[in-house]
Amino acid sequence: MQATGEPLLRANDISKTVPGPDGPLQILDGVDLAVAQGASLAIVGASGSGKTTLLGLLAGLDTPTRGEVVLAGERLGALDEEGRAALRRRLVGFVFQSFHLLPALTAEENVMLPLELDGRAEARRPARDALDAVGLAHRLHHYPHQLSGGEQQRVALARAFVNAPRLLFADEPTGNLDAHTGRAVSDLLFALNRSHGTTLVLVTHDPTLAARCDALLRLDAGRIVTAPAAAAAGA
Amino acid sequence: MNLLAFAARSLRRELRHGELRTLGAALLLAVAALTAVATLGQRVEQALLASAAELLGGDLGVAARRSLDPSYAAEAQRLALRASASAEFPSVVFAADRSRLAQVLAADAAYPLRGTLRVRGADGSERDAAAPPPGSAYADHALLVALDLRVGDTLQFAGTPLRVAAEIVRQPDGGQLFTLAPRLMVALDEARARGLLGEGSRARHRLMLAGERTALARFQDWVRPRLADGAELVTVAEAQQNLRSAFERGEAFLRLAALLAALLCGIAVALAAQRYARRKIDEVALLRALGAGRHTVLATLGLVLLMLALPACLLGAAAGLGLQQAVLLWAQQLLPAAPPPPDAGPALAAIGVGLAVLIGFALPPLARLRDVPPVRVFQRHLDSAPRGFDLLYLLPPLVAVALIRSQSGSSAVASAIAGSLLGVVGLALLAGLLLLWLLRRGGSALPGALRFGLANLARRRSLSLIQVTTLALSFTALMLLAIVGPGLLDTWRRELPPDTPNHFLINLQPEQATAVATRLGALGARQLNTLPLAVGKLLAINGKAPRAEDFSDRRAAGWINGETRLSWSEALPPANRLVEGHWFGAAAATPEASVDRLWVDMFHLKLGDTLTVGVGEQRIEARITSVREVDWSSFRVNFFLLLDPASARSLPHSVLASFHLPRGHATELAALSRDYPNLSLIDVDAILDRVRDIIDRVAAAATWVLGFSLAAGVLVLLAALSVSADERRFESALLRTLGARRGQLLAAVLGEFLLLGLIAGVIAAGGAIAAGRALGSGVFRIAWTPPPAAFALAVLAAAALVTLAGWLGARRVARSSPLLVLRRE
Repeated sequence: MQATGEPLLRANDISKTVPGPDGPLQILDGVDLAVAQGASLAIVGASGSGKTTLLGLLAGLDTPTRGEVVLAGERLGALDEEGRAALRRRLVGFVFQSFHLLPALTAEENVMLPLELDGRAEARRPARDALDAVGLAHRLHHYPHQLSGGEQQRVALARAFVNAPRLLFADEPTGNLDAHTGRAVSDLLFALNRSHGTTLVLVTHDPTLAARCDALLRLDAGRIVTAPAAAAAGA
Repeated sequence: MNLLAFAARSLRRELRHGELRTLGAALLLAVAALTAVATLGQRVEQALLASAAELLGGDLGVAARRSLDPSYAAEAQRLALRASASAEFPSVVFAADRSRLAQVLAADAAYPLRGTLRVRGADGSERDAAAPPPGSAYADHALLVALDLRVGDTLQFAGTPLRVAAEIVRQPDGGQLFTLAPRLMVALDEARARGLLGEGSRARHRLMLAGERTALARFQDWVRPRLADGAELVTVAEAQQNLRSAFERGEAFLRLAALLAALLCGIAVALAAQRYARRKIDEVALLRALGAGRHTVLATLGLVLLMLALPACLLGAAAGLGLQQAVLLWAQQLLPAAPPPPDAGPALAAIGVGLAVLIGFALPPLARLRDVPPVRVFQRHLDSAPRGFDLLYLLPPLVAVALIRSQSGSSAVASAIAGSLLGVVGLALLAGLLLLWLLRRGGSALPGALRFGLANLARRRSLSLIQVTTLALSFTALMLLAIVGPGLLDTWRRELPPDTPNHFLINLQPEQATAVATRLGALGARQLNTLPLAVGKLLAINGKAPRAEDFSDRRAAGWINGETRLSWSEALPPANRLVEGHWFGAAAATPEASVDRLWVDMFHLKLGDTLTVGVGEQRIEARITSVREVDWSSFRVNFFLLLDPASARSLPHSVLASFHLPRGHATELAALSRDYPNLSLIDVDAILDRVRDIIDRVAAAATWVLGFSLAAGVLVLLAALSVSADERRFESALLRTLGARRGQLLAAVLGEFLLLGLIAGVIAAGGAIAAGRALGSGVFRIAWTPPPAAFALAVLAAAALVTLAGWLGARRVARSSPLLVLRRE
């Protein structure tokens, strides 16, 4: 899908500093970016370059020390934690490197979770559909520890897409998987992304995965070294 | 979203996996133990009080030296209480050429309201009876022997012939356990008709009441402000010093067991909640990342807990009620009276305490979950922002203190328990820190597996401290219950040894003392103890005549307006302990006095004050040189006021003797009574039997209560060990993956747990001994010596138990595939 109009996600000069043993530690320094509705952006960089911190700031999980993040027209800095949580509930989905399925819940119950948090009366049917879409209709009542890594990540994908988020954040979604399974999961991720028209922000080490995105942003020591192509990112 | 539905679903899901099951079980056990202990305690106590009521002849009474106001009886009737009027007075009874001073009880037809009047007829058969009808009387064995009468004969009472219809075997005695003379029982109307109860008589009038508890309480409230001058309430608790002391101590012990059970369950709840909260951190971070608000997370947690707690509490209360009923069914024959049906009060209170324990102990760790940052989904090392000091952590100690305060029923118990537990916490933390420091410094010298095990202790610093502290606390409670409690009870029981004096001789003249002592010795009497007895009046305190209204203690009036009995002795009498000042010197220049602590408190006395007593024509002004603590439950002759022998010897007096004589000497004692007609002989065997019986029953009930508390202690042990179970499982799996042998893993775990158990056990033994000493001297008023062998065994058992529990857990980990364990994490 081509990017058009006002970007769905924009970061203006955001920085993040945390206290360290030898004084303040700059993790991100003056990052600007914009992602258009329906586009996909890969954030790459060495370990410790600030990728995950940037993802957390973009998703409103953390607040920048300086600068501003605007998500679907809402300035995150103007919202309190409750307001940001409400925004995430409505608009955002997540996929994590270590899956983060709740061990106490079955696959089906894990997928139902975002719908339940959003107060949907009927959560079971969409959850089953979502699991069906990732090819796990036969694993509804399995617990995470009874599933393989690839299956767990597919459950996580079903959970991420079940409430049709406008924006999906993925943190090394194939990082814990072998090459073959990783490819299968990333195929699924991009297929779902296309079919839902979701905007995707992806952190990865994997150049193949990054290459499948519309735009690429490379970080080094908290600074952007390769900015996303303007057209692809829609800025 | 629908929080309630979401919370219900969360609870259902989590219950499948057992994390909340531990918390629920802890709560259930807490409420079950509290309900069982409190209900059992209440019912046993009521059954014991009912047996005291039987001794008393009623549940409550009003007594006075003059006729009782008719409004008392009217109010009792209005409250639907049963009432019985009686009067007691001394009177000389004649038969042929013999005469005897008897203590007469004149009672109405309703007598006795509680207990039974047991009499023996002419044919020798025993039966329960009411008061005799006019024209007849009952006499006790001593009176029959003294007057050489048999059942069916006639005696002269107040100028009227009365037929002796039966011999009194046993009678409720209205709180007068010690009567000073043989007893005669007549109809109240008889005494009234003979003009024996009018103005100027020496009768003590009594209205005894029985009925429903609330009505009795209402009567008590109503009558208290209306008691005329000299009238007093006769209650079970105030009836008799010996029994009261037995009840107080029995009750204190039951409460102690209940309190410790509650505290143990509180610790278990705290540990379970701590573990639950740690496990929830990832989930909460994820929920927050997925858009759940902070309030939603907290509200869901609260609702989940409430939905778990309410049924757990109700189930616990039901289980507790069932348990105590089972105990009572089993132990029914031990109780002197059928216990009343259980009321809901203790169960409701237990549920309330259970919820307070849940909130107090579980809230602090769970509340911290509100600070879990959502960004933790990316960076797992990010725990909630550290806070310097969280006020919420004051909650558990506050709830514990409130529990101790409300459940102990006495500030002495409260301070003994709170003090020792606080000491244990302090010591455990200190010892823990010292050990961790030593391990860091010298741990590398240890062999491989053991080094790893002990290094674990040092690395999980805060978990290790939590474990040492909670284990020490629960072992303290368990040792208190298993060693100190029974020890105190046993010491208390042994206070009434088999040769406790069981007879009193009153009114013995000084010149008869030697001859009587010789005859008693020939009969085989032991523990013969004689003391002079002078009856006088307390004339002045520090030169000023005392007035009853100056003292808040109502008992003061009895001594100020009535007679004061005093004695003297060269040596400190048995069952007396000097608590202040010094015992009388060889030859005091001025008269000296020694008083019981009760007098010191009641009359606000201190060493150096002077007391003026008048005996006959003589007056003595004595300076207080010592204060004694008298053990009134010792069944020995004791006095509130003792004078120095040199100053008091010339006072007009009689001699009072106490001794132990095995049963079966009735004939010889009757002969002694005949040869010394002035003597009054009191047989206290019957009273002693009842007191011993009561003490045995309290002890039996307390043993059952202990069982529940022990179960709570085991739960704490398991909860404490599971605190570090997750980390341990992961590390063991890791070690296995790296090639560690099963034996090495076990050695590491055993070393770690053995050390943990030993330290906790030693600290707990210290705490339990300190608490035992404080309870012994402060509450039970007995000198308790800690049994070293039992404590040594307890320390070893504590270490063995902790090691065993650790081994069982480690075995499971070592058996399972390391890969599986790793995947589960």
